Amino acid sequence: MTETLDTPQPEAHRKRTFGELLTSDLRALPVIIGLVALWVFFATQSDVFLTARNLSNLFVQSTVVGIMALGLMFVLLVKEIDLSVAAINGVTAVLMAKLVVEFGFSPWISIPIAIVFGAAVGSMSARWVTFVGVPSFVVTLGLGLALNGVQLLLLPQTARYGLLGTGVEVIAQTKISGASAWLVLAIGLAVFSSLVVSSMARRKKAGLSVAVMSGLILPIVGGTVFGIIVVAILNSHQGIPLVTLTFAILLGIGGYVLKETTFGLHIYAVGNNDEAARRAGIKVENIKMAAFAIAGGVAALAGVIAASRTLGVGVFSGGGIGGGTLLLESIAAAVIGGVSLFGGRGSIHAALLGALVIGSVQNGLNLMGVENEIRLIVTGLLLVLAVSIDKLIERFTGQQSF
Amino acid sequence: MPPFYIFSEEKVLLETKNGTPLISMRNIKKSFGSVHALQGASLNVHAGEIVALVGDNGAGKSTLVKVMAGVHGWDAGDYEFEGKPVKIKNPSDANNLGIQTVYQDLALCDNLDAVQNLFLGRELAGPKIFGSRVRRAACEVRAKEVMARMRLSNLSLSRPVGAMSGGQRQNIAIARSILWTPKVVILDEPTAALSHSAAAQVSSLIRTLADEGLGVVVVSHDIHHFVVEATDRIEVMRLGANVASFKSSDVTGEQVVNAMVGGDEGANLAG
Ligand SMILES: Nc1ncnc2c1ncn2[C@@H]1O[C@H](COP(=O)(O)OP(=O)(O)OP(=O)(O)O)[C@@H](O)[C@H]1O
Ligand SMILES: [Mg+2]
Repeated sequence: MTETLDTPQPEAHRKRTFGELLTSDLRALPVIIGLVALWVFFATQSDVFLTARNLSNLFVQSTVVGIMALGLMFVLLVKEIDLSVAAINGVTAVLMAKLVVEFGFSPWISIPIAIVFGAAVGSMSARWVTFVGVPSFVVTLGLGLALNGVQLLLLPQTARYGLLGTGVEVIAQTKISGASAWLVLAIGLAVFSSLVVSSMARRKKAGLSVAVMSGLILPIVGGTVFGIIVVAILNSHQGIPLVTLTFAILLGIGGYVLKETTFGLHIYAVGNNDEAARRAGIKVENIKMAAFAIAGGVAALAGVIAASRTLGVGVFSGGGIGGGTLLLESIAAAVIGGVSLFGGRGSIHAALLGALVIGSVQNGLNLMGVENEIRLIVTGLLLVLAVSIDKLIERFTGQQSF
Repeated sequence: MPPFYIFSEEKVLLETKNGTPLISMRNIKKSFGSVHALQGASLNVHAGEIVALVGDNGAGKSTLVKVMAGVHGWDAGDYEFEGKPVKIKNPSDANNLGIQTVYQDLALCDNLDAVQNLFLGRELAGPKIFGSRVRRAACEVRAKEVMARMRLSNLSLSRPVGAMSGGQRQNIAIARSILWTPKVVILDEPTAALSHSAAAQVSSLIRTLADEGLGVVVVSHDIHHFVVEATDRIEVMRLGANVASFKSSDVTGEQVVNAMVGGDEGANLAG
C-alpha cells in the first residue's frame, strides 16, 4: 500500500480560499466592517463623534460591558451560560462599598475581597451545574435573583453608599498621560512581540514552515500601528484612562490564556465535545469551574469599576434588579463579537469588538439626541444582524466556522 | 509522562503469545439501568496479536471496549492487566497503563486542528505562567512523524478536524492512539467510514503494530474483507456474552456470521 488516503492533492500546502479565511482567521472582519460603518455614520451625523475627547469617553463607556463580556466568554466557550454575572457585579460592588464605608476597610483590601467573592460565587454555581446536573441557565438564573436580594439586604436605609472621598473614585478618574502612556504601550508591544517572535523562532528551529508575513510581520506591525493610533488619540485628550488600561490588560491575559495555554485549549475542547475531552483525560468539571470563577471574578472587577464611575452603589448597581441592560448587553457584546452560544467558538477580540459596537451605538445615538428607546432597538437589531451575517457566511461558503 | 512511541527497527516483544496476556477480562458484567449490556463477557489480548470482536448491533462490543478503556466502570468480573488485577476508574488510568482507544464516535473535538486533537489532554507544554504554554512547534514535529509513518503527510495539521472527511477524521483518531507508547490499541469500527483502499491501509497498519509487539483489539462489522483477512483471532459476542471463538486462518466469513446471528454450525463454544 503506497497510495495516500482520501485527498489527492497535497492539502497541507494548499492556499486557503477567501471563504475559508472568512470562517477562520478573518472571522472578525464583518464585525470590524460593521464597526467602521457605524463610526462613519456617526461621524457624518455629529461633528463631535470623532473628537479625541469623545472617543476617549467611548472607550471608558464600553469598558464595563467589555470586561463583563470577556469574563462571560469563558463560560460561553465551555458551552454554559452565566445569567448571574450582572447580579455578581452588583452584589460585589455593594459589598465592597459596605466594607469601605461602614467598616472602614481600605479599597486595597475590599476590592480584592470583592473579586475573590465573585470568583467563589461563580465556582459554586459551576459545582452545582456539574455535580447536581442542573442546567447552568437555571442555576444562574436562580442565583442571580437571590444575589439581587442579597444586594438589597446589604444596602443601608438610604439604599445607597456614596464613594466620593473613599479612594475608590480614583480608579475611574486616573489617567495615564504623556510619556507614561507611551511607555505603557511600549511594554505591551514588547510582551506581545516577544510572544509572537518566540513561537516563530521555535517553529524555525524545529524545521517547520514559517509564515513570516501572516504569522510575524502582520501581527506585530498591525498591533503597533493600532496601539499607536489608540494611544495618540487618548493622549491628545487626557491620557489612557486606568479603566481602559485594565480592560486592555485583561484582554491581553485572556488572549494569551485562550490561545497559548493548555487551559485555553481545554476550554475550547470542553466546549465542543466534553465527552471527548473527558476521555482525553481532561477534568471537565474543573475546567468549567475555572470558567465560571473567571466570569464571576471579572464581573466583580467590572462592578468595582462601575461603582467608581458612578461614585457610589445602590439598587441600580449590576444593572438593577434582574440584571437589566447590563446583563443583556454583556451577553450581546460577546455574541456580536463572534462567541457562539453553542460552545467552543470565539476569540478574545470578541469582547473588545462587541463592547465597542454596543458602546458606539450608545455614544453615537446620544450625540444625535436620539432617545434611549431607539438605542435599545438598534442594539437588539444589531445583535440579530451580527449572528445572521455569521450564519449567511457559513451558508454561502459552505464552511462551518470554528 | 510516557515517552513517545518510537518506530524503531527493532521489535520490542512485550510478551509471547503463550505467556501472560496483556489484558485478561473474565466474566465482566455491566448494566445500564435495566439494560444488561454485558452479561459475563470475557476477552484475552496477548502481545503481538490482533483480536477481532464481532457481533450484531447491540451485542455489547462497544460497551466492552469502553470498560477496557476506563470510560465505564464494570459491575462484576475480573479485569487484569499484565497478570495483575487493575482498578481502572477513568480513561487516564487506562492511558497510563498503555491502553489506547479509537472510539466508534472517534471522540475528536471538531473545533481543534489535527495537532491539538492528537495531543489533547497530554500537550507538550512549558512552565506555568497563567497556565502552561503549549509547545506547539514540538507537538507539530511529533505529529508530523506519526502522520508520515501512517502515510498521511498530505493531511493539513492546522485545519479544524470538523471540516475534514470521515476517513481523514478516522485517521487522526488512529494516529492519536499510537502517538504515545501504547501496549494495547483498541479500535472500535476503524474501517466503517473508509474506502476499500483506506481500509486495507488500516489493516496493514495494525499488522505492523502487532508485529512490533502491541496487542490490538478491533471491533468490526466487515467480516468478509477485514475480520477474516486481517486479524489473528475472532471473538463473537451475542447479547452481552461470548458465544464463539475462532482462529481467523481456520474460518470462513460465513461461519463467523452464523455464529453472530445464532446459527451455531462450526462454532466452538468459548469458555
Ligand atoms: N451509555 C449507555 N446507556 C444505556 N444503555 C447503553 C449505553 N451504552 C450502550 N447501551 C446499551 O447496551 C447495549 C450494547 O450496546 P453496545 O454499544 O455495546 O453495542 P455494540 O455491540 O457496540 O453495537 P454496534 O454494532 O451497533 O456498535 C445496547 O442495548 C445499548 O442500547
Ligand atoms: Mg458499537
